[in-house]
Amino acid sequence: MAPHRTTQTRTSIIHLRRRFQRLSFILPALIFVVVMMAFPVAYNGWLSFHEWTGSARRAPEYVGTDNYTELFTQSDRFFPAVKRTFLFTGVVVTAELVFGIGIALLLRDAFPGHTVVKTLILLPMVATPVAISMAWLLMLEPTIGVFNKILRDIGLTPQPWLGSQSQALWVLMAVDIWQWTPMMAMITLAGLLSLPEDPYEAALVDGASSLQSFFHITLPLLVPTLLTAVLLRSIEALKTFDIIYTMTRGGPGFSTETLNTLAYVRAFEYFRLGQAAALLVVFFAIVLGVSVIFIQMRRSVSMRQAL
Amino acid sequence: MTDLSQATTPRPHRPLSRQAVMSKRRAQMRRIMAESVRAVLLLVIIVIFLFPVIWMALAAFQTQIDIISPGWGFTPTLRNFDRVFSEYNFLRYMGNSFLVAAVSTALSLLLGLPGAYAIARFHYDWLGVVLLAARIVPGITFLVPWYILFSRAGLNGTYIALILSHMIVSMPFIVWVMVPFFEGLPLEVEESARIDGATMLGTFVRIALPLSVPAIMTATIMSFIFSWNNFMFSLVLSGDDTRTLPVAIFNFITYASIDWGGLMAAAVLITLPVLVITVFMQRYVVSGLTAGAIKG
Amino acid sequence: MFTSRFSVRSVFSLLVVVSLLLGVSPALAQGGEEFPISDQYAGTQIRVIAANHPWNNAIQRLIPDFEAASGITIRLESYFEDQLSQRLQIGLTGGTAEADVFMFRPLQEGLLFEKNGWVADLREFAENDEAWNLADWQPGPMGTVTSGDVLFGIPIVTERQALYYRKDLLEEAGIEVPQTLEELEAAAAALHDPDNGVYGIVLRGQRSAAVTQFSSFLYSFGGQWIDEEGNSAIGTPEALQAYEYYGGLLRNYGPPGTINMSWPQAIAVFAQGQAAFYLDADILYTNVTNPEASLVVDKVGFAPFPEGPAGRRPYSVTSWALGMNATSENKGAAWEFIRWATSPEIVRKMQSEFGQSGARSSVWASPEGLGGFPPDLAEAIVINGQTGVGFDRPRVIRVGEARDIVGLPIVVAIEGGDVAQAVEEAHAAFQRFLEQEAAEFGE
Repeated sequence: MAPHRTTQTRTSIIHLRRRFQRLSFILPALIFVVVMMAFPVAYNGWLSFHEWTGSARRAPEYVGTDNYTELFTQSDRFFPAVKRTFLFTGVVVTAELVFGIGIALLLRDAFPGHTVVKTLILLPMVATPVAISMAWLLMLEPTIGVFNKILRDIGLTPQPWLGSQSQALWVLMAVDIWQWTPMMAMITLAGLLSLPEDPYEAALVDGASSLQSFFHITLPLLVPTLLTAVLLRSIEALKTFDIIYTMTRGGPGFSTETLNTLAYVRAFEYFRLGQAAALLVVFFAIVLGVSVIFIQMRRSVSMRQAL
Repeated sequence: MTDLSQATTPRPHRPLSRQAVMSKRRAQMRRIMAESVRAVLLLVIIVIFLFPVIWMALAAFQTQIDIISPGWGFTPTLRNFDRVFSEYNFLRYMGNSFLVAAVSTALSLLLGLPGAYAIARFHYDWLGVVLLAARIVPGITFLVPWYILFSRAGLNGTYIALILSHMIVSMPFIVWVMVPFFEGLPLEVEESARIDGATMLGTFVRIALPLSVPAIMTATIMSFIFSWNNFMFSLVLSGDDTRTLPVAIFNFITYASIDWGGLMAAAVLITLPVLVITVFMQRYVVSGLTAGAIKG
Repeated sequence: MFTSRFSVRSVFSLLVVVSLLLGVSPALAQGGEEFPISDQYAGTQIRVIAANHPWNNAIQRLIPDFEAASGITIRLESYFEDQLSQRLQIGLTGGTAEADVFMFRPLQEGLLFEKNGWVADLREFAENDEAWNLADWQPGPMGTVTSGDVLFGIPIVTERQALYYRKDLLEEAGIEVPQTLEELEAAAAALHDPDNGVYGIVLRGQRSAAVTQFSSFLYSFGGQWIDEEGNSAIGTPEALQAYEYYGGLLRNYGPPGTINMSWPQAIAVFAQGQAAFYLDADILYTNVTNPEASLVVDKVGFAPFPEGPAGRRPYSVTSWALGMNATSENKGAAWEFIRWATSPEIVRKMQSEFGQSGARSSVWASPEGLGGFPPDLAEAIVINGQTGVGFDRPRVIRVGEARDIVGLPIVVAIEGGDVAQAVEEAHAAFQRFLEQEAAEFGE
């Protein structure tokens, strides 16, 4: 055997061994992903073409695309739920963004007690959502809740809050905004503190007011960070479950029913596992679509800024 | 987190004219005004963010009668806490929550750290994408298939089922935090170690991991908190013996009317550990929550 | 003080007559002889999944006696109502035998469980068990757990809709306890005084939760959920009237926010002394007579459901039953537990000591049978039972979905929307639902 061939074999063995070593780094994670993620997602996709009540006696029955047709043409709760899901997400993410930027600006410069304030406003988002929902339920209780107690004491009309089809969704939005504004504030603050100094110095020389420099320098520089924050929050907001389930279960009427709670109800209250699976597929497509839009936006913004 | 020095460093001074002195005084006035406005705003913000937590804590010390009575006053009582521990077996649920959160976090680290390292160093980008997809898939999608899977394996209601389910949140999160961090580590150190004959695993364990302690802290703390707070998966997968706190609190809405005091006492007990962690580990929590948003 | 029109004694004699008519001798199973527990399954472990319910709390205290006598170990898990339902559904979906015995709501899940083959047929066990005595069971509640020939559960808790009222407020205003729905509305209007923190009436208003409580109103107005041909019956003028009446009561004389109220919230309003009237299941009464949770302990009175245009037609149902998992490997031991938990001795104890009304004629006929209830409530129970209807929600397979459909007009009515239109839409949707279900499950 020619000497150079031996080297080649040796390098290819080394190469193979390397590949194997590298693969061993991801192998455990990969197995986990296949068993715990890929199987359920595939099974769900399969189930979406079947009808099944979960019966041990009757196997899932193939129904073609019936579940999808039902969703788009017959269900009178699907489109309202889509609308609410987007309304909810749009309102809470916008509000969280605006309040978050405001709070981040307030916290930008150090002051005595700076860390304490930052720590305190973290509490809403780390506190257990189920526990927090219970506290809100007590505060919003129309007869014994503190909000109506205050309204009554200052001579205003008590409100039904969650007991009103027109108010309930907005109340839930308020709770979500309360819970997640701190995250926007923290991300924005971190973004603010990592901004370069030079554009500000230039602006100062040009005599720009602080408001001007905010809108013309700070905000544009923050856009990539903010877009990522909005992306993360939007994904979570679209999937909001804990607070809606524990506080209204989609009611009163169906006024707070979103895609996630509708899917849950279909699967675990109506025992329509096939229809629930179809809804989940569509829901997943929606979340994915929204994510892709934001990711594209972010990419194009960074590219424009790099130019 | 990024340090504050950048923002607080005084900006360079320019030479001052007389006119400038006047305007400086005016500016000083304005700054005092601005400072007080800021103080007031901050106070309002803190009140808004803390109020529900404080109200929850206050109600935990009131009797049912005090809570439902129209007035404001109450006589503090510890009975709710007493009952939570004696009647509702809360200590056990706390133990369950702790066990599940700790083990699922540990296992997620075990799987996630090498995975993240491989994604950062060996460019298994597709794995990164798949793991991030876990954040997008609605959690309900997993529930029925898991249940069937776990029953076949005879694991329903066991800690194993719970731990595995919680890892679906923790593991991708850990990867999400760690990949950019590993990418940011200087390659040279690892390369020189390799030249000195260290194996891939050796480099990872002895070089990369020790350099990553802060990021690992962040990932660990956040993963623990997510698991501690998880409701939906535990609701379906936990058994009577393995029930975690968020599900246990649901038992306070019993057939015998809502026991608000007990409910709030339980809520306080669930939230307390997370609050303590947050207060002492504020830095890591912040970087965990902002992870991924502040790069490039 | 308002004086009751019936004496307790007349109620008792009435009961005896009723039970005699049912062909049951009150002397039977009343004697002191102990209910025989076999120890042939000693060493077996039985898993029981139960709801967080007073019945469960009570049985837990008695289980050690059973374990001692039978040698069977009971592992009992408790869950909140909805959580239990999901747990059972998903658990049974997976086809596992993780529970041997479970508590379930026959009117909510019964038909589904039965259709899906999740529950074992208990008829053979029941018929061959002489001491347990199948003949002692009231036919109404037994009907709720029977489908064709299959006996898919044993009733443990029964309930009827009672009128809770504030004796002090009625007396002060010189108002008699309402005997008809018309009188009820007038009384609620007269006592409605929100400025002083008292609302005329409180009822459940939550879409799905309200359906069961609304059912008595529907029946008493002459309405029905489903007609004889299996079509939706909620489009009738009677049903519309009932919806309008129920919604009107809450809109005009109810507290704010009733449409997000299930019973825990609604009964809390009454227990806080903020409502003059409340109508709900009779067995919830301990919530308003418990001094630790109620401000109206000595002020509360109970009466039968008021008469409507079609008479007094409250629901009178089995709300909870015990079922056996069809895939249980310990069926013998599981039955041993069920027969003990539903034995005359335990049912009597439940009824007299824990206020959990059961479905055994002999217990109802015994003097202790009504001993656990306040006298006026006992009276209301008996009267409600006479003309009661055996179901409080549409009898379909997917009950949850049906409740959401027929419950929506209640919410619209409370909020003052276009009830006629809402009912019409619900009627159409319900008809579609029924046709679909018939096509899917029809044999």
